[in-house]
Amino acid sequence: MKKGARMNDSIMIVDDNDFVRSSVQIVCECAALAVTAAASGAECLRQLEAGFRGVILMDVMMPEMDGWDTIREIARRGLYPGNLIVMLTGMGEPGLKMEGIQEYVTDYLTKPFGPDQLIESLQYYLILLDSVRA
Amino acid sequence: MSRNLVVIGISTGGPITLKELFSRLPPLPAAFLVVLHITPHMDRRIALGLSAAASMPVRLAEHGECLRAGMVYLAPGGFHLKLEGNQRVALCEGPRVNYVQPSVDVTMLSLARPCWNSKLIGAVMTGMGKDGAEGIRHIRQLGGITLAQDQKSSTIYGMPKAAVETGAVDFVLPPARMAAKLIELLS
Repeated sequence: MKKGARMNDSIMIVDDNDFVRSSVQIVCECAALAVTAAASGAECLRQLEAGFRGVILMDVMMPEMDGWDTIREIARRGLYPGNLIVMLTGMGEPGLKMEGIQEYVTDYLTKPFGPDQLIESLQYYLILLDSVRA
Repeated sequence: MSRNLVVIGISTGGPITLKELFSRLPPLPAAFLVVLHITPHMDRRIALGLSAAASMPVRLAEHGECLRAGMVYLAPGGFHLKLEGNQRVALCEGPRVNYVQPSVDVTMLSLARPCWNSKLIGAVMTGMGKDGAEGIRHIRQLGGITLAQDQKSSTIYGMPKAAVETGAVDFVLPPARMAAKLIELLS
């Protein structure tokens, strides 16, 4: 277990790619971070409606509802408070679709990213979320 | 009493980049104002997180207060922040500028020429879009010193690139070297 890791932390990986979802889940679990998965934007919204709060790792390119539209819907439904969003993308830089929702996107990880980089970022963001809950 | 002022504009990738920058800065004779694209739901959390990493006290800027040297102020989400006389905070409602609120340009464009014995420094760091570019140009025109984060260290090289393309940036640096430059300029 990585030093400083805790079991009650919450990560949600939102990605339509099974391999990415399972890889992130394994990396998080190895670092003792509690993780859940959603295969689509709609499933992410359902989990947020059901009460998930934590760090959301959001893929950009997804069928039907992409990552940007999912964030807009999260904001529209008032589901953002208590969460923090990190985008996952294969592209180097976001397009214009990010305009207007920059404030909701805390970080941006370009695939492929290493497990150490992912866990280091997640642990800091979980600390940020904990700092108000405490 | 020091009236040195450092204004930093930053967006996506900001929390970790700010942590890296401020963890390298000792207490300095300047007020630091950070304008991060952020929602009201996260601003206090970011300030608390930065406070744990910085040697200088960090707090959310409040309407009407005067910035003090040796402090780091974070612009709260949901407002634009203007500085009156480069010192007094005015939180303003109004339309988004460059699609964001708070906008870096709004804050930087509110700045006035510094007193002869005060330094004015502006920096634009990682983030998408071009917010901060006009502000950096303004700070340069006021006789201030301007910095931008380099491409390699930027999570998204949008805002720093736009700032550099104005031709008004004096130094293009990664966060660690930016911290060293700030120490050099302010010590």
